[in-house]
Amino acid sequence: MHLQKETKQKIFRDIVVSLFLYAIPVILMFLSFYITGKKPWLNQGKKSNTTIVNH
Amino acid sequence: MIKLIESIFHNLSLWGLPVLMIIVGIFEFSFGLYDKKWNRNELLLDITCFVIPRIILQPITVYFTLRLLPVILPGLKDIFSWVPFWWAFFIIAVADDLTQYWYHRLHHQLPFLWRFHRTHHSAPYMGMSMASRQNVIYTIFFSQIYLTAALVYLGLGYAALFVTGIKSLITLAAHSSIPWDKPFYKYKILHPVAWVLERLISTPATHHAHHADSFDDGVGNYKGNFGNMFFIWDIIFRTGIITRKYPQSFGIKHYKQEEWYAQFAWPLLKSKKEGSELAAGGPMVGDEVNK
Repeated sequence: MHLQKETKQKIFRDIVVSLFLYAIPVILMFLSFYITGKKPWLNQGKKSNTTIVNH
Repeated sequence: MIKLIESIFHNLSLWGLPVLMIIVGIFEFSFGLYDKKWNRNELLLDITCFVIPRIILQPITVYFTLRLLPVILPGLKDIFSWVPFWWAFFIIAVADDLTQYWYHRLHHQLPFLWRFHRTHHSAPYMGMSMASRQNVIYTIFFSQIYLTAALVYLGLGYAALFVTGIKSLITLAAHSSIPWDKPFYKYKILHPVAWVLERLISTPATHHAHHADSFDDGVGNYKGNFGNMFFIWDIIFRTGIITRKYPQSFGIKHYKQEEWYAQFAWPLLKSKKEGSELAAGGPMVGDEVNK
């Protein structure tokens, strides 16, 4: 059972778009730092200690 | 107030969600929402899938986080702990849910992966009882768990607590046999809210359509509507349809009521049902055979 060519192409195209979607929050965050002039990485020190659960 | 919300989400992640599922599940069952299709085989499968992954998955993720991540990402623990809360929330929400969208979509679109996900679709009903119903291999390789664990290791753990809690609530609500979204479609004044809601997150209408056993009614879309927490991925990739209606029947047309243990542990355990996708030498995708 083979994957149809058009399905394969759509998956590939959508994965490329997804890479951009993954980057959007990070890009927007740095854009906000650029606009506000904030540099929160300079006062690093807060530690996190939470656990996660997925369903 | 923040402490209270934090405490709610912390307890939700520890014991709250399973308890909530049991309470809502009892309500659904009492009101006949499983349509008398919850027989002994389905019940055993649903209970196994509810209990076993909770026992085996926790040690695997703890091992991955505490032992493997320091080896894979040495010296990077908490390196991004400076990321402000709402940005961390946004980053994890997109990373976790988009990864699950792809994990889910590929199990539908790549024929060799379908049988690992089929167990979730074989249920001829919707509700809390089938929300956790997954093949154990599918559960162990839930890719977004490991990605989110890595983001927690890198310092985004506090936001992860809230994202994963909200995501679980939305996903469970979308699987519920209680059509809680109906009033949004019924009352005209709520239509603008419905428009946003059904495009942003998974609702019973859109997710039930994904579990339909047919396309024929114009409502079912079992080869689409892949979104888990967010439905917006289906909008962007044009894999979703929104009808504001609920399918008449659920499951898979070629379901052979395969033994609960085969559905849970295929390919480790196989079905004895002749012609089953889960039997030795069975077809990779049953509905392709039946065309």
